[in-house]
Amino acid sequence: MLIFDQLKKHDPKLQAVSVAILSGLGLLLAGLWWVQVVSAREYRESLETQSFRTVRIPAVRGKILDDSGNVLAENRPAYCLSMYLEELRKPFDQAYFKARDRVRAELHARMQAREKQLGRKLKKQEKKEFAFSTELKLRLKQQARYEVASNVVAELSQRLQVPITLEATNFQRHYQNRLALPYPLLANVDPTNIARFEEQLTSPLGLDLEIQSTRCYPYETVGSHLLGSLSRNNNSAEGEESFFNYRLQDFRGVLGIEYGYDKELRGLAGAKSVQVNNIGYRTTENVWSPAEPGENVVLTIDLEVQQVTEAALQNAPLSTYSPVRGAAVVMDVRTGDVLALASSPTLNPNHAVRGYPPGEYQRIVELFAQKNRATQERYAPGSIFKTVVGLACLEAGFDPKALYYVAENPAEPGKGYIKVGNRPIRDTASPGNYDFRRALMRSSNSYFITNGLRVGAERIVRLGHKFHLGERIGLPLNQETAGSFPTLERLASGWSDGNTANMSIGQDPVLVTPMQIAVLTSALANGGKVLWPRFVTKVESQDPTSGAAPVLYGPRSVRDELGVSARSLSILQEAMVADTEDPEGTGHRAAVPGLRICGKTGTAQIQDEHNRKIGQTTWFISFAPYCPPGSAEKPRWAVVVMVENGKSGGDSCAPVAQKIYGALLNRERRANGHASPLANVNPR
Amino acid sequence: MFDAVLNEHQSRVDKLQVAAICGLMLLGGAFVYSATMVSEAAASASWYNLGWVRQLAYYVLGVAAGTSVCLVHYRTIARWAYAVYWASILPLVLVLIPPIGTTHGWGAMRWIDLGFFQFQPSEFAKLAFILAEAHFLSRPVEELRIPLNLLKGLGLMVLPFLLIMREPDLGSALVLLPTGLVMLFVAGTPRRYLAQLLCGVAALGTLFLVDVLFAPPNWQVFKLQDYQRKRLMVYFDREYKPASNVPKAEQERLRKELRKQQFDDSHNVRQALISVGSGGLTGKGWRRGTQNALGYLPRAVAHNDFIFSVIAEEEGFAGSVLVLTLYGTILFTGMRIAGQARDRLGKIMAVGVVTLIFSHVFINIGMNIRIMPVTGVPLPLLSYGGSSVLGSLIALGMLQNIYMYRKAY
Repeated sequence: MLIFDQLKKHDPKLQAVSVAILSGLGLLLAGLWWVQVVSAREYRESLETQSFRTVRIPAVRGKILDDSGNVLAENRPAYCLSMYLEELRKPFDQAYFKARDRVRAELHARMQAREKQLGRKLKKQEKKEFAFSTELKLRLKQQARYEVASNVVAELSQRLQVPITLEATNFQRHYQNRLALPYPLLANVDPTNIARFEEQLTSPLGLDLEIQSTRCYPYETVGSHLLGSLSRNNNSAEGEESFFNYRLQDFRGVLGIEYGYDKELRGLAGAKSVQVNNIGYRTTENVWSPAEPGENVVLTIDLEVQQVTEAALQNAPLSTYSPVRGAAVVMDVRTGDVLALASSPTLNPNHAVRGYPPGEYQRIVELFAQKNRATQERYAPGSIFKTVVGLACLEAGFDPKALYYVAENPAEPGKGYIKVGNRPIRDTASPGNYDFRRALMRSSNSYFITNGLRVGAERIVRLGHKFHLGERIGLPLNQETAGSFPTLERLASGWSDGNTANMSIGQDPVLVTPMQIAVLTSALANGGKVLWPRFVTKVESQDPTSGAAPVLYGPRSVRDELGVSARSLSILQEAMVADTEDPEGTGHRAAVPGLRICGKTGTAQIQDEHNRKIGQTTWFISFAPYCPPGSAEKPRWAVVVMVENGKSGGDSCAPVAQKIYGALLNRERRANGHASPLANVNPR
Repeated sequence: MFDAVLNEHQSRVDKLQVAAICGLMLLGGAFVYSATMVSEAAASASWYNLGWVRQLAYYVLGVAAGTSVCLVHYRTIARWAYAVYWASILPLVLVLIPPIGTTHGWGAMRWIDLGFFQFQPSEFAKLAFILAEAHFLSRPVEELRIPLNLLKGLGLMVLPFLLIMREPDLGSALVLLPTGLVMLFVAGTPRRYLAQLLCGVAALGTLFLVDVLFAPPNWQVFKLQDYQRKRLMVYFDREYKPASNVPKAEQERLRKELRKQQFDDSHNVRQALISVGSGGLTGKGWRRGTQNALGYLPRAVAHNDFIFSVIAEEEGFAGSVLVLTLYGTILFTGMRIAGQARDRLGKIMAVGVVTLIFSHVFINIGMNIRIMPVTGVPLPLLSYGGSSVLGSLIALGMLQNIYMYRKAY
């Protein structure tokens, strides 16, 4: 080495010192290598943990659209007025210094007063009482901060003419736990106040407007049950970063489509890091991973049909309840597409996001309004189940032309009755001769009980299983009940003719949801295909320019085939069309000019445990258009209407169906380019 | 004439060393700037109060002082060695008298306030000690075999050592030990004496550490300042303990409090380590370090005792190597000067200066990477501070002086 060579060779002492210095420097170099190169990552991590706070940024939720692109659920900016504490540091300090000087002077004055009183200098121990303690310092600092902040808030409140108060404990908690984030003062600032704020506070002291995205349902109550609702949930979903110091307000779907397609709608939350200084005030922000917006979900629902359906249902005539309690389902019998799904009473999903107006929450609880009556409640089907019993009989080879005599009820002249065992069962049909068509049209209990008993419970139950009654469909809604339907095992154990009789007229052991009945009706219309209902046609990117291909949900495969003959179905359909077209038919109020509708009414009795009637469920099931054998056309729509405690299926439900068919015809005209504004489709 | 100056063999200054000194001064200016200009408030001070401006002014003063040291032959200066020595002892005594010495709020009386300048007498006492000790040891080797002379030599060291300890300034006092010992060694003190001396120092040191770290608070013989004890306990990872005469019920609460206090006390060291470590291989760039800017590295020490943390964070391992290389250059050119010195006085003095600088560098950088306990030892030429900069440049001027009057090959 150059330097060593130049050292005098014969001075070992200097060489020893040089070697010692060299090894000292080598030791430092090795230490630095260890700290800066080998363990650099570790130190960088501790640097990050101490000077960065990660914040979860929720993604912008996808929209929910109807089949023609009307927005049913979207996001609107909500302005939130926030206070940036780091900009108030100086005033905080100034206020504290002032308070400190004042308190110190006070303490000093008190100490002197005491000394005067005692006439001597205080001892060290005694002086402690008047010392400026750390505790006192912290308390003064806290007070100073609150004082400064509440002055800012008071000024803001005065300028905006909105009462805003700064809650001391809230503020303190925020200061201690979320110092790196701005303190939210006023949520959902309305445009007037935004204008006032921007105009009047030219030098806003640490105040600024923040934009948050909030869920908004522009048609308010329309489709509320199907769209579902959100609840506050800031947790990380799968595939997201899971550790955050702070999480911004986020929502997650808990019901309806918002639940079923939550994963697609919610997108991927992003993360930002906030750099803080040694006391924890924010210095800079840096977005690590931007939030990926959620995708739009396009529904099969048609907004206009949905609106008409809801309006018609809510105005169902002759219902004892006000508002009407009921449900309606409109389905495309060819594909299983749900065109409308209504449940009444409705609720406004906006309230779940922005807060309920006074009394609203109580109303919802009292009316069970949050329940989706189309999928979540079980009802006895009543006479509409006679279509299934009738189909079982026809399949068993019964002659539809065979006449059956309905005997007159001695207790109620002019009406029929039938005795099963010792139990007389009333029949609303008048006494006389009935063939299949007339029996279905007049909904004769006697005819269907007699024939139900003849064909046997097993055939009826087996056919019911083909319709998947008593089973969940697996709707993507988190609001579904399976209903109930006897199993074959149930038939084998203690099943009586009384049970078969009850089942034949759609009573007790059979309980269904309107959605299940819509699937059943569609199967009757489409030649025996039991379909999977479809709610969503595609999921696509929110950004039309993104170029990402939408995910299409084609019609799902057929769930089951009834395996019944075309002849049986056409006999049934012919009898059903008579129900709306024959003057004797119970469903003639559903009739729409220019559209042949197959229908069946039903009224199921609800009894308490003492067999006393406490209410009834009224039904109208239908599909259209009716296509006699050989016609090239095929039925397109099934409409199922259910009203709790209506007067009868014909009186309360059929008129609802009539209006819905009007909307469906209008939709078709619209599709063909002959639009006529039937309903007001403008969002409120 | 200029040709003669620039000629390698006739060169009148050790150019390599001068280059390294200039390099360190450039680094010092740049990083004092980086460490102090962290906020608008700091930057808006009047220009003559800015740290980096003052540091540059100290460099100018220091270079002037160092150059003027070179004007007189070191043997002429050595004739005044004892006068200088006693003149440096006087302020060490004065600084202990309250109205003259100031504490700067640090709990140690290290400064004499001259109004425009906070004078730190220990910085100059170290130089005066080297001068006096070199002068004393430059006598014929045979005389050094007399025990009385050894004791006298040690006495020269022990007096400023005790006075500086008294301030207290443990770090500055401790650097006197290796400096004195190495000078004794190079001067030719018999090995037997040196070995005995080393054993004595080692035994005393061990006793001292054991007492400070392990003895219960009310048994301790060495009455260290509270903060000094804590620094040592932090370095050796010892838990703070409450005094044993405290009632049992209080113990737990006190223990908790002490644990928190210990965490706070180890804050500087932890933050310095994080600064150095997070710099990585290449650093974050000049003025891009966050540890200092965000205030994690305490502002009060970032530009002086912990300037190395700032450099290491901003320039990474590369910067650290550069700093070590510059110091290495100064140290080894210093050793070369010692080897080329005309006489024993020059050799011993040069070795003393080199050892002093090395001790500062080793203790200061070592404390940044936790191989040494935290003591207030500045990094020569880099740390902000007038006394330290002036002292270092005068010491280096002495080296150059010895080089100028070296024997020719």
